[in-house]
Amino acid sequence: MTAITPSASLKLYARRRRAHKIAMVLSNLATLLGLIALVWILATLLIKGFGGLSLAVFTQSTPPPGEDGGLINAIYGSVIQTAVATLIGTPVGILAGTYMAEYGRNSKLTTAVRFINDILLSAPSIVVGLFVYEMMVQPMGHFSAWAGCVALAILVLPVVVRTTEDMLLLVPDSLREAASALGAPRWMVIQKVCYRAARAGLVTGMLLAVARISGETAPLLFTSLNNQFWSTNMNASMANLPVVIFQFATAPYEDWQRLAWVGALLITVAVLVLNILARTLSSPQSNAR
Amino acid sequence: MTTAVVEPASETSSILRRNRLMDALLRSLTRAAAIIVLIMLGGVIISLVDGALPALKTFGFSFVTTESWNPVTEKFGAAAPIYGTLVTAFIAMLIGVPISIGIAIFITELCPRPLKRPISTAIELLAGIPSIIYGIWGLFVLAPLLQAYVQPALIGTFENVPMLNNLFAGPPYGIGVLTAALILSIMVLPFITSITRDVFETVPAMLKESAYGLGCTTWEVVRYIVLPYSRTGIIGGIMLGLGRALGETMAVTFVIGNAHKIHASLLAPGTTISASIANEFTEADGVMYTSSLIALGLILFIITFIVLAAARLLLLRMQKAEGRH
Amino acid sequence: MQTRPNVELTKTVLTEPIAEALREKVTIRNLNFYYGDYQALKGISLPLYDRKVTAFIGPSGCGKSTLLRILNRMYDLYPGQRAEGEVLLDGENIVDPKTDLNLLRARIGMVFQKPTPFPMSIYDNIAFGIRLYEKVPKSEMNDRVEDALKRTALWDEVKDKLHASGLGLSGGQQQRLCIARSVAVRPQVLLLDEPTSALDPISTAKIEELIYQLKVDYTIAIVTHNMQQAARAADFSAFMYLGELIEFGTTDQVFTKPRESRTEDYITGRFG
Repeated sequence: MTAITPSASLKLYARRRRAHKIAMVLSNLATLLGLIALVWILATLLIKGFGGLSLAVFTQSTPPPGEDGGLINAIYGSVIQTAVATLIGTPVGILAGTYMAEYGRNSKLTTAVRFINDILLSAPSIVVGLFVYEMMVQPMGHFSAWAGCVALAILVLPVVVRTTEDMLLLVPDSLREAASALGAPRWMVIQKVCYRAARAGLVTGMLLAVARISGETAPLLFTSLNNQFWSTNMNASMANLPVVIFQFATAPYEDWQRLAWVGALLITVAVLVLNILARTLSSPQSNAR
Repeated sequence: MTTAVVEPASETSSILRRNRLMDALLRSLTRAAAIIVLIMLGGVIISLVDGALPALKTFGFSFVTTESWNPVTEKFGAAAPIYGTLVTAFIAMLIGVPISIGIAIFITELCPRPLKRPISTAIELLAGIPSIIYGIWGLFVLAPLLQAYVQPALIGTFENVPMLNNLFAGPPYGIGVLTAALILSIMVLPFITSITRDVFETVPAMLKESAYGLGCTTWEVVRYIVLPYSRTGIIGGIMLGLGRALGETMAVTFVIGNAHKIHASLLAPGTTISASIANEFTEADGVMYTSSLIALGLILFIITFIVLAAARLLLLRMQKAEGRH
Repeated sequence: MQTRPNVELTKTVLTEPIAEALREKVTIRNLNFYYGDYQALKGISLPLYDRKVTAFIGPSGCGKSTLLRILNRMYDLYPGQRAEGEVLLDGENIVDPKTDLNLLRARIGMVFQKPTPFPMSIYDNIAFGIRLYEKVPKSEMNDRVEDALKRTALWDEVKDKLHASGLGLSGGQQQRLCIARSVAVRPQVLLLDEPTSALDPISTAKIEELIYQLKVDYTIAIVTHNMQQAARAADFSAFMYLGELIEFGTTDQVFTKPRESRTEDYITGRFG
């Protein structure tokens, strides 16, 4: 029984080590590229965004070209539309997720909804905009903040459905059985035991949904459109940060472009803070492993 | 409830009745909510078909094959945006997939443990950045850079190479198909990376150890054990990324140039379905113009639906296979 | 259960005369092992004799698998785990950080608790390891694969489906395939980490028979929970407890005349 013949095998081995080294260098490089992209984008945002930041941003409405102004109408519009959309989308999403995880765990309906929901989760948001345009804007005859809210709510829905189902499925069945064994009816088990056990996860899902819609532009382009002036009328078109950024950044006026960067910074900070918040909320479980 | 035993019988039965009622109520309420999700998809499809009907009736199948897009004569064809959508997404995958898999390999196999979470999180934060930010960054940072350095270099390098000189023909605009594809490739990174990493982590440690036990290098373990084992999941992840790239709107709208033309050169401006809709929808006057844009939306939805459904089915199949082991 | 480890007994020496000449293939000297701050092995010293089967026995968590995984440096895959001391393979210290791990692992094969067929065909499962170190023409490769399968008594069962997936075999067949895969690389030492713990009695008997035949060519170390298995298959046995080596000797001696009361307690089933 001879072991591997040294000379031939070592030559082969040297080649294998070379392949290994090359692959590992490439893998390192790929990671570096990804990190550079992140840092580069964030650094640009910070530099250009902070450069244009001033008190006026939070006190004045969007200006016509060449004049001073701020973003307060757009900030208000974004906050209010995001909030309303979350208020519409979250309850429906939680209820649907509850059905999938509790009442209809193995039903055909659940399988179908899960499949469709996963597709809606990554469907192009602009198509949702078109849908709401057809359903609301055209029949009503004008753009409105309500239409924007509905479009955003449709985007909230799949995120919340997904996390609700996942989080409720993480609640061990023994907990449900223990509660049922005390004589608690199903609705009470769900409400008092399952929701409570999955609370952190449900909030995480909502935060992720808010993070997702607060940066959305495409579905708002032809639902709530934009409004140069301060407006709180939900029945009329309303300004919002993403659309203002789009309009101002692509315009040839330097002061508009500056405001666009400020808006971009505000949105990104908000979205990243929401993301990190969602992460830390859900981390007690993930730290355990 | 514990007091129910000592309560009079009528009281107990009223509690029972109430519980049964509440249960039925919550059950039907949640069921209705689940059905709403289904209806939403149906609604999207119906409304798109309804809106697209005038254009599809007028142009028929030639809508898909015609390049001309003329609001003045009301002659509309979707060939250019469809081409742009497919080409940008394809190039984005060509660049994004190897990098994503490289990052996933780094995170699962090479990364020192204390860095594992921070790097994972950093890559995932890329997914959290709104697409409009990618757009504005692409327009003001990436495009000028490409115009000044990368594109002239590409044009120069491939000037005398047949085939490739057509792909990289000047002049360097900065914005265009290639720029859009580059931005998309960054945007799909976090999606493909996180799914690939997750499926890599489902490879049993013992399986990897037995390959190491034979004397495999890390690369060989990845190449011959980890990748084949997680193939289905990775393809699912790639399709998911592809779905994103196909449907992405704002980032592309900023940098693609919005020209309804099919150019051989990747450096030339073009358009995608979503960019056309975003740019033109609010300005579209006339039934035919609007309807043509909605028809574009319908085509986009069908393409992404097929891709995403395939992705989900693959990932589902993988989960099932996992459960069987 | 909570007997205190006896310090002076950690260095056990083989006192009984052995008829045949024994050569130390692997020599473990004063080996300590740490999972982070936790010390899992304390001053282990013992030999693995050439072409003999040595069994590591003891209650779960005593460090027997840990010891086995040091012999092919598997612990290197996991940051925070480290070994101190000496493990000499033919006189060369393999715990030395300069040791090339891939070459080392090609010399020391390993089989795990559960069968781990690679996601490829039966043929490729075996050819895979050979190709790593040797450029072998097709016909020779066929012979090598056949030889490895015959040695593990698997040939007759799989010769008609060599190109089917290895995952389609039964558990016992899969485990023999994994042994064949290790053997095909022609290692010098074979490490078996509870190789039959996931198998039925008939498959277990086949594997034990296999071990008996393989020790003609290989030095074998086996970790086992199963007392009878150690008694049947091993020439030497090492009893470990709480990270220490309590007793090492010929299997006959350890099982019939244990010097240590803790060994006796464990073997007679009083704890563990």
